[in-house]
Amino acid sequence: MIDKKIAATICEYAGKAVSERLCGDGDVIAMRTKSGFVVNAAPFDGLTEDKLVEVNAGDASANALLSALFSTREDINAVMITHPAYVRAVADAKATIPAVVDDMAQIVGTTCKTSKSAEVGDVLKAVKGRNSCLIAGGGALTSGRTMDEAYTCALVLDKAAHVFICGGVIGGCKIINTFEAKLMRFVYKKKYSKTNQQNISQREGE
Amino acid sequence: MAWDKEEEKRLRQVIKDSGVALLAENLVQGTWGNTAVRLDEDHMLVTPTGLDYVALQPEDMPIVQISDPSVWSDGKKPTSERKIHAAIMAARPEINATIHSHPVWCSVFASAHVELPVMSEEMQKLVGGSARVGAYGLPGTKKLRNGTVAAMQGRNACFMANHGVFCAGGDMDEAFEIIRIMERSCRQYIEQKTLEATGQKTYSDELLFDYFKSKYGK
Repeated sequence: MIDKKIAATICEYAGKAVSERLCGDGDVIAMRTKSGFVVNAAPFDGLTEDKLVEVNAGDASANALLSALFSTREDINAVMITHPAYVRAVADAKATIPAVVDDMAQIVGTTCKTSKSAEVGDVLKAVKGRNSCLIAGGGALTSGRTMDEAYTCALVLDKAAHVFICGGVIGGCKIINTFEAKLMRFVYKKKYSKTNQQNISQREGE
Repeated sequence: MAWDKEEEKRLRQVIKDSGVALLAENLVQGTWGNTAVRLDEDHMLVTPTGLDYVALQPEDMPIVQISDPSVWSDGKKPTSERKIHAAIMAARPEINATIHSHPVWCSVFASAHVELPVMSEEMQKLVGGSARVGAYGLPGTKKLRNGTVAAMQGRNACFMANHGVFCAGGDMDEAFEIIRIMERSCRQYIEQKTLEATGQKTYSDELLFDYFKSKYGK
């Protein structure tokens, strides 16, 4: 039996992703549970609670990437893999998005790398020590302590991809220096986000 | 404080509606934008910090002192970017409404630190000329605030380096017209530059993506 709060949260954020045009083929949305994780078994558009499945930790037939993420990253409770057009273009180019705007520095980090391939090992390497990466030839993997954090990260990453691509035709983006980008990320994580995420976590379930 | 209470009530609704309209017109993501309207020479109503625009009520809007934005009353905790709104209102008595947001097309110029030339008669009329980029500064700093005020001189809009866009009007309707024309003009300029860079005659996102991949692809 899937936890009602978790199921409702997943469906709510899948709907938000649809309305923000973050979606494409193969979108994934998942949340950690006490025994494993809950993941969508149907596209985001019109996703309902009966189209979610609960996977037990250690189930060999489960989504290997999600299993690996939830088992190795205790800081991650929610994951989204979305496919907006600008993100796909950067992922196809296997490029790294630098901190082109300050909300990216705060919410995503100093850079967002694209994995070398779509293989699980390469994706885990690209997301190591971070909350997001792009999947070569695919979309954006974003994660968070809460689903709200994973979704916000997906939104900001989509904008950063848009800015990065379009900036190229008007002379290139000016990148925020690493020290200031790290400072903004630190302040966001420690000052603005911690209490908020704890409150959201209680609302979202487990 | 010397303003009509009925007028304050009306302006509270104006602020509330402005947040909802920013969302509806895709001019803001989440709660990351803020607006202000002048009540009198030294007071303005602003949006509170970090609250959902749809759920927000007119009475949630705090009143902030323009000459000292650390002083506020009523409503909920005001946006941390109130100092920029206050600085513009203090410097420009003809301005009664301001919008700060981070829409995608404007953010491209903010990130590239590129001045947007006048793209149309409408932009000339509403913005007052090209849109400059204010000096870069960390969010909430004096450097960002002063850079914005300088870039706004003689203009009704400017970019804030690596941050977003700032627009100001005689009233909220005009401020909205300005942010709309800014976003449209930025998009138009980028599409033009894509055609110039690729030598093609018809713009499409695919054309832009192919250009990007040829330049940045591994």
